[in-house]
Amino acid sequence: MVAMDARAAVKRARLSIRRKRLRGLAIAAPFVLPGFALACVFTLYPTLFNIRVSLSSYHIVQRSMTWVGLENFTELFTDRGGRISLAIRNNFLYAIVTTPFILLFGLVFAVMINSLKRFRVFFRTCFYLPVITSWVIVGNVFAYMFNPGGAGLVNYALVDILGIMEDYVPWLQRTWTANAVIWILGIWKNIGWSMIVYLAGLQGVPADLYEASGIEGAGRARQFISITAPMLKNTTFYVLVNMIIGSFGVFVQVLMLTGGNPRGTTSVLQYLLYDKSFNLFEFGQGAAIGVITAILVLITTIVMNRVFRTEGGRVE
Amino acid sequence: MKKVFTIALALITLASFRCNASAEETPVTITFWHTYGDAEAPVIDELIVPMFEAVNPGLKVEAVRQSGDFNQMLVAALGAGVVPDAARVDITKTSAYAKLGGIVAMDEIEGFAALKDAVLEGPLSTNLWNGRYYGLPLNTSCKAAVVNLEQMRALGFNGAPATMEEFIAAAMEKAPGEYKLSVSGLGDWDMYPYFWLFGGALTDEGFTKASGYLDSAASVDAIKAIQQMHDGGVFTIRDVDGTPDAWDGINSQYAMFFEGPWYPFSDSVVPATIPSYNGRSVSIVGGENIVIFSGSDEKEAAFTFARFMLSEEAQLKLLEVGVLPALKSCVESEAVRNDPKWSVYMNQLSSAKSRILTPQASTVEQLWSDAMSMIFLEGADVWETLAMTAAEIDYELAK
Repeated sequence: MVAMDARAAVKRARLSIRRKRLRGLAIAAPFVLPGFALACVFTLYPTLFNIRVSLSSYHIVQRSMTWVGLENFTELFTDRGGRISLAIRNNFLYAIVTTPFILLFGLVFAVMINSLKRFRVFFRTCFYLPVITSWVIVGNVFAYMFNPGGAGLVNYALVDILGIMEDYVPWLQRTWTANAVIWILGIWKNIGWSMIVYLAGLQGVPADLYEASGIEGAGRARQFISITAPMLKNTTFYVLVNMIIGSFGVFVQVLMLTGGNPRGTTSVLQYLLYDKSFNLFEFGQGAAIGVITAILVLITTIVMNRVFRTEGGRVE
Repeated sequence: MKKVFTIALALITLASFRCNASAEETPVTITFWHTYGDAEAPVIDELIVPMFEAVNPGLKVEAVRQSGDFNQMLVAALGAGVVPDAARVDITKTSAYAKLGGIVAMDEIEGFAALKDAVLEGPLSTNLWNGRYYGLPLNTSCKAAVVNLEQMRALGFNGAPATMEEFIAAAMEKAPGEYKLSVSGLGDWDMYPYFWLFGGALTDEGFTKASGYLDSAASVDAIKAIQQMHDGGVFTIRDVDGTPDAWDGINSQYAMFFEGPWYPFSDSVVPATIPSYNGRSVSIVGGENIVIFSGSDEKEAAFTFARFMLSEEAQLKLLEVGVLPALKSCVESEAVRNDPKWSVYMNQLSSAKSRILTPQASTVEQLWSDAMSMIFLEGADVWETLAMTAAEIDYELAK
């Protein structure tokens, strides 16, 4: 009898917990469902569809697919000229080269602007201007600046004005000079964003730390090394993650400046995806490049999380 | 009851009249996508479309000028199933759209045979894929020599040189290392005319095989002749040498370069037939075709519009703003024969060759550019590079 009562009590308790959970879900549903539905329509479904296309031969007009397994991936990796390898290399190089500069200059400019008493907004706007300028416009400006002949501003300055070099350099037609131009454009365009994030981070650094260190005789450089930089570790991690993940999305500057030339040596994953899909009509391979990009971003994020191990959300 | 029947009958009769009336009133609208330039688009909108609508009262044309990457737009439209009825597309893309199944074989439409005979054969051939015609040439173009008369005088020529041999000899003797001939890059549009001029061949006539042609002794010699011109300081490749663009340099530095009819000629920079080499002049065909989309509901009306676009009146109206006609009868017209520019280009067209016609045209173009980059930028062996490229093109052509 006692055992039966106990069983009934447990059952009642379980029912009560279930009801409470359902009530909780019913309360949360109106808030969560719209976002969930949008995520399903605009993120989840396209992602799954892309994976399906990457494993198929996709006929765009008929909107039909023929299952080909991993054929698109093997074709990409056995492609002549190893374009996918070059693109992956260039994406990593872009991340490795541009990120430190963006971090460094963003931090330096943020500290400089933060220390200003006047014209703060003016300088903040000036440094942020490249971020909001259209990639296409900037791409065209850079294409003009690095024009191969004397009509290019850089060649004109280096050869005709300063006389540093004897001959004009076809900047965008050589692998490494063209990659350098792509990197410079990326750095110039992103410094403003990192500066704004650092400026926000700097507002969270207690002023009394600087006052106390000042009393103890610390100079500006010491304060920067011992207070500012450590206090901005979390901000740095945030900028770092964004910049590295963003490096896998590089596209417009390559399209505008080099078209992946010469011989695909300045190509990047997103440009290759575009080229395969829209120029060569290899939609399956294009989708496969999308999947490869996602895998690389995932691996990079995991590695970064391991390297910059966090404890309670703080970077160690 | 009788009254009800009478009213119902009257209503049905009225409704049917209404339907007939609306069918007569609602014209069929054809959507036509194009990329005509600033000078040409108003001719389409303000002259040609009204002319077409006047002679075809039941038809209306919505001409939409597209900008940006037109190919990308068309691919996106094909994917979304929201295609125009007709479009003006680049000759190199026609077979690719045909392979995708996006455009219809026009030769199955009544009236095609007459149009086929009326247009120039070279441009028409760019519509052929898998034994069927998937479009009609709407306008054509080719490259001719753009000559700086003053520079030519300095080299000892009164006007354009007749042969390439004498031009090279004069440039080497009178202006050594000064680059008197220029080309922008290493792509097919830039380099094919030189390659063909010096005796090179890309494939067999049917575009089925590159091996045996691209890697033949004649092709190797052609590339070596270009190399010699380049190394001898006669011929410059802007993207390799970092020299000024031909459009800028022709006014001060270069004596000649090859370009389409869109170059703004002047009294001192004039068009001329490309000088012959080994007794023959060669050029490259460009231009656009008109195609009808598989997804169109108004294919017949679209074909009527295509036929009108190939009428003499439409072609001559467009010629006035610099669009070279694809119609045989226009080529012989006085407007063309008496015009100093058009007469050169139409004459050059007779020796103009088409690029490799294949749905894989973009890949083939990339392979060619890669090969030229290897040879001119990296100093790769000519024969080895051409043999490797020929094998790769064979693979693409077999797809």
